[in-house]
Amino acid sequence: MREVEEQLRSEVVRLFAEGAIDLFLGYSSSRVPLRSAACVLHDADGVARLVWNRTCTPNLAALLRELLRSPPGATGDAPPRIGLLAKGCVSRSLVTLMKANQISRESLLIIGVDCPGMIDRHKVAARVGGEIAAAIWSGDDLAVRATGSGEHILSAEDVLLDDCRTCAHPSAVLSDRFLGEPRAPRRDALDDPASSLTEAEPEERWSHFQGEVARCIRCYACREACPNCFCTECFADASDPRWIGVTTDETDLALFHLGRAFHQAGRCVSCGACVSACPLGIDLRMLYEKVNGDVKVRFGTDVGTSLDEPEPLCRFALEDDETFMTEPGKGGRGMGVR
Amino acid sequence: MIEANAEFEPRIVAFLCNWCSYAGADLAGVSRMQYPPNVRVVRVPCSGRIDPLFVLKALQNGVDGVLVSGCHPGDCHYVSGNLLARRKFAVLKSLLEHVGVEPERIHFSWVSAAEGARFAEILERVIGAVRQVGPGTKMVKSIEEAQ
Amino acid sequence: MKHKRVMVIGGGIAGVQAALDLAAMSVEAILVESGPSIGGRMAQLDKTFPTNDCAMCILSPKLVAAGDHPLITIHTTSEVTAIDGEAPAFRVKVIERPRYVDVERCTACGRCSVECPVSIPDPYNEDLVKTKCIRVPFPQAVPSAAVIDPSRCLRLTRGTCGLCEQVCEPGAVNYGQTATEHEIDVGGVILATGYAVFDAVERSEYGYRAFPNVVTSLEFERLLSASGPTEGHIVRPSDGRPPRKIAFLQCVGSRDTHAGNDYCSSICCMQAAKDAIIVGEHLDDVESTVFHMDLRAYGKGFDRFIDRAESVGRTRFVRARVSSVEADARTDAVVLQYTSERGSVEHEVFDLAVLSVGLVVDPEGRRALNDLGLPVGEHGFVPVEPFEPVRTPRPGLFVCGVASGPKDIPESVVEASAAAAEAACAVRSSPPAQFSVEHPPERDIRGEPPRVGVFVCNCGINIGATIDVPSLVDYARSFPAVDHAEGFLFTCSRDAQSAITEAIREKELNRVVVAACTPRTHESLFMNTLRSSGLNPYLFEFVNIREQCSWVHREYPEEATAKAKDLLAMAIDKAALLQPLSTTRTRVEKSALVVGGGAAGMTAALTLAAQGFPVHLVEKEGELGGNLRHLRTMLDGGDPDVLLESLRERVRDEERITVHLGATVEDVVGYVGNFETRLAGVPNPIRHGVAILATGATAVEPTSHRFGTTDRVMTLRSFENRLAAGDVGIRRARSIVMVQCVESRVEDRPYCSRICCSAAVKNALRFKEVNPKASVYVLYRDMRTYGLRESWYREARRAGVLFTRYDVDCPPRVSVSAGGLRVEVDDAVLGRRLVLHPDAVVLASGIAANPDNKGLSQVFKVPLGPDGFFLEAHIKLRPVDFATDGVFVCGLAHYPKDLSEAIAQAKAAAGRAATVLANDTLETEAKIAEVRGSQCSGCGVCVEVCAYHAIELDEETGHAVVKEALCKGCGVCAATCHAAAIDLRGFANEQILAMLEAVGR
Repeated sequence: MREVEEQLRSEVVRLFAEGAIDLFLGYSSSRVPLRSAACVLHDADGVARLVWNRTCTPNLAALLRELLRSPPGATGDAPPRIGLLAKGCVSRSLVTLMKANQISRESLLIIGVDCPGMIDRHKVAARVGGEIAAAIWSGDDLAVRATGSGEHILSAEDVLLDDCRTCAHPSAVLSDRFLGEPRAPRRDALDDPASSLTEAEPEERWSHFQGEVARCIRCYACREACPNCFCTECFADASDPRWIGVTTDETDLALFHLGRAFHQAGRCVSCGACVSACPLGIDLRMLYEKVNGDVKVRFGTDVGTSLDEPEPLCRFALEDDETFMTEPGKGGRGMGVR
Repeated sequence: MIEANAEFEPRIVAFLCNWCSYAGADLAGVSRMQYPPNVRVVRVPCSGRIDPLFVLKALQNGVDGVLVSGCHPGDCHYVSGNLLARRKFAVLKSLLEHVGVEPERIHFSWVSAAEGARFAEILERVIGAVRQVGPGTKMVKSIEEAQ
Repeated sequence: MKHKRVMVIGGGIAGVQAALDLAAMSVEAILVESGPSIGGRMAQLDKTFPTNDCAMCILSPKLVAAGDHPLITIHTTSEVTAIDGEAPAFRVKVIERPRYVDVERCTACGRCSVECPVSIPDPYNEDLVKTKCIRVPFPQAVPSAAVIDPSRCLRLTRGTCGLCEQVCEPGAVNYGQTATEHEIDVGGVILATGYAVFDAVERSEYGYRAFPNVVTSLEFERLLSASGPTEGHIVRPSDGRPPRKIAFLQCVGSRDTHAGNDYCSSICCMQAAKDAIIVGEHLDDVESTVFHMDLRAYGKGFDRFIDRAESVGRTRFVRARVSSVEADARTDAVVLQYTSERGSVEHEVFDLAVLSVGLVVDPEGRRALNDLGLPVGEHGFVPVEPFEPVRTPRPGLFVCGVASGPKDIPESVVEASAAAAEAACAVRSSPPAQFSVEHPPERDIRGEPPRVGVFVCNCGINIGATIDVPSLVDYARSFPAVDHAEGFLFTCSRDAQSAITEAIREKELNRVVVAACTPRTHESLFMNTLRSSGLNPYLFEFVNIREQCSWVHREYPEEATAKAKDLLAMAIDKAALLQPLSTTRTRVEKSALVVGGGAAGMTAALTLAAQGFPVHLVEKEGELGGNLRHLRTMLDGGDPDVLLESLRERVRDEERITVHLGATVEDVVGYVGNFETRLAGVPNPIRHGVAILATGATAVEPTSHRFGTTDRVMTLRSFENRLAAGDVGIRRARSIVMVQCVESRVEDRPYCSRICCSAAVKNALRFKEVNPKASVYVLYRDMRTYGLRESWYREARRAGVLFTRYDVDCPPRVSVSAGGLRVEVDDAVLGRRLVLHPDAVVLASGIAANPDNKGLSQVFKVPLGPDGFFLEAHIKLRPVDFATDGVFVCGLAHYPKDLSEAIAQAKAAAGRAATVLANDTLETEAKIAEVRGSQCSGCGVCVEVCAYHAIELDEETGHAVVKEALCKGCGVCAATCHAAAIDLRGFANEQILAMLEAVGR
């Protein structure tokens, strides 16, 4: 990644020098250990801030709409040309957003990279059993000092985000330049069931779900981190009509998370940004992995890999499965949780 | 707590499309077929009109089971609304089951305008399945909180 | 005659379609039906091929629409006895037999049938079960009213009984009714008299009526039907057990010179395939066998359907004519004897035999035609000329459907629309019929709190005996939003309507809830009551407490009452949120664009011009004519060259038609009523209200059978031209071989081109005329000379044309050498190889879709089928429409068809187009989608899911915009939008959420 990071910096300098971009969207390290933040460069001056490492979890596509709406670096009326760094999931978000008319291809200069997978801070914290005070990388190994429990050496592979573990497209699927070598899609990863709930009994699943969503404080960090949450008004906020009470009543929380998960079906690229963003570490993946798996298995949709194919819930095939439907003699039984 | 409860009379909401399933329900009536009085019908133009959130809202309001019924594939008055609905509800049902909501509460079916008997049979089936899992508790907002 | 008025005789699907089209063109339609309900044969069918749509699901809305339309008057139990006068001024005598039930009063509750002591065979169910002497003909009947069979009624025959009158609470039974004679002045008449089925008793060898497990195909339809006597459970009549082996016997009374019916009934092969598929879906371990002579799967999607019957339906197609049917006296099993293709006599046992009975005109039907002053053709069908397929010999009288020959539902519907178009032309000089009724001005309810009026119906005892209506009324009063609640014995009675009006006025009600029967039949009645009370009709909500409550919960009065209360609460809460809705009107550009200048395009253009509409006719080539230019002769008379010249001349002389030659469509914007089309290289767009796609199709150039190596191997088309041109090589040929299905019905082109069999028969006959001594071989897979064309096939055999069947696996092999042509074919019937040395080989290589269709389908936003032909809105009932309003299709662009069929379809497309152009403005639906722009993120999922292309994204704002003229109000967009930025009026999110909240209380 070091090499790519260097290439990235010189590429960005060159792009600014050529006038090919008005601003650049990438990652910079933050004061919080093991967390990189999105950063916007308006010129080549800050290029040294750019990083590319295993803590670059935010989905940069989530920032694009804001940038395009109020272009901080734009001159005149022309929309800014934005360069951005796109790992596999970000590139698929770009595809999804283009299809949903939220961004235009012309306004972007995409620098694609291959992503080895990001680490999950919640996992690291759990491993070290305390708050992360400092962390030092050495290759793929990580030395973490935690408050109250000393120093731990972890391998990045052991603390990968679950979404990265099952990622089928680690390399950008769409780019203008590609830094490093792209990797072919991982076919073996396509149908990997990785939900935390797969094996559990119905009641266990319910209590896990209930336990998780009950912790939600409706801060909407998940929504903010998600490129797909571009609705002008979220159904969770709407008052005319009101779909969900403005409470932290457990059923309202369940409704929010189920409704949001349903809305993600066919749009979610499993970037894990919401999982990382949630301050309470709620197991959001149990929902999104489920709907993703469903659109993949049922409708053959690999989200964010085709600019032409409409979203899976906006089309149909005559021969779609209907074994889940109720017939006079049968039905209403489970569909079998994957 | 989930066990068959013969005393329990479930309350079920059925979303019926106007052109096929609602007509099938009418035909069941014209033919004087008898089925249990547990179902409250919401007439909609097309099964494609039904936002999956309606199903969640019905559960939150304390309904014990939900049936969504539309035209058989090919019969849709609006070309393909039923087929789009089929995709939506496949995902919804699977999602609800995944988080532990009893699948016996959520039903989707096709009923044509000529299938009065089928409509009655499907209702029997739905009511029986819901009765088996007892009153809805998951997702149900308690009255005090609702007010 | 004051205004445009046309009579339609026959209330089957053809008659109903003709009446609806006429009414849509502002022509009053008088629909005369001899039975007690409209609906005809289609109402008896279970499903329809090749889509297996439920017949009733698609028919019933049309029946209701015809029953409701202010410009359609329906006379049931009526016969036309004479048509006097001449076009366009006829006086028609109609005898209306007494029904003995007042249609206005009858609520179709069925109480009379329960009490009636006399059982009679049920004609709707083909006499398979009994019904009562007084009964509603079938549940979806229109008019929805009972009828008495006077020949069996005790009161009418003996003066006793009278029970039905006593129990009928609305007092609808009236034994004193007498026949009435109407004299009706009309400008034109459309015959849609349909058919009878062949009486299988006439062919006693099939054992019909002799053995219980031999049924007709129509009886079998009722056995398959979910609303039939067995509720769709397929059982043997003898013992009620499901059959394991079913035999379908084709051509019973068809292609049968002994029975006097030498024609093919056109529909039976597909009907048998459909039945076999449905049987296969119903029963797991059943096997169907279809005994046929040729498999006539000549229509769109038919060959694929046969494949499905074989795979899904586990159906065996056996090429044999069954010679006798016996029954095993012990088991009632049916024993068929037939001669296999190879000549051996076989016996096979089946549990059930279905006789595919042909379509016939019975003596009564012939007599009726005579009464109308019409000549009757050989088989009782109304004779028509090939170039005028819907005109009878008597001017001003038109014909559609099976009355002029066997055909399936879509062809009948096509002819119905064509006949309506012709009849509308015939009455063109009269002013349009008016049906607008003056309503009091609508009260503005803005700012008023909801004041709901609730009216609960007892429906005599239909509701009141089960549901506690008074407690329902009390319950309604407990709602703060309810200002008035009241119960009626019959809410649909005139008295009750006045009472509702009075309550609306007196208490200034601004919402109305009626709890009664089903909105599907009575919603329009109550909406009219609101309208005439000065309320917007959409401030109305209907609660169904009869069909969906009292009638289905008779044993549970308390629970039924509780359910009715819930339903009422849901309706009241929804009603409080109802808003007045209005329809908007968009102006119609009263002109048409026709793409394609062949026979279909020119006919469509001329038909529209004759109705007074300007037409732009766009032709890609430098001259008009299309494929008609290559046609030299017709099977049944008529000269294509004469037709071509006459069409060209009439187009040239018609000042309303502007011809654009060498022109192609580049871009289309707009929607029904307001299209703008740009032609390539022409700066100014053409404005038009409708478009008809008549782009034809192309003849396939063969790549096999040595085609191209010698001019003695030629296509069927070039043979026809060379024959007509007097080509010496052809005229002197001693022997010719015609090969059918060349590169057709194979994997790459898996459909039948429909016309090649008839074209081969035609050219074989023409050739034999000039060269009687020559030998002619036709090598075929199935001879598909459907309908009346069958008689020419017989004629060709009589003339000595030799027909040899080959199997698809061993197609004929053509070789060319210095010695001449050599054709080798394995005769599938005789099982031997035939080697022929003809002077010419003629290849029937079929028809392929026009490659231009693809581009047109994109600019006009209309779909193509798998074979590249345009895909109509509904294969059965909307055969020339697209789901996209205002765009129509006809001719070969739709599917291969012969010239007569293309002409009929062109007229139909013009007729359907005229239903749009007849209006100055188009009224939108009221309950349509609505966008809240501020909430829309422009993601476009609504655009994607809309089947009608009714939503687009505004270029400026990026927000979705509903093209109101196109929206049909399905609400799929509303259910798909994540942000509720698009909603459906009348079924709005907040209204449905309110209902769900009410049910939870």
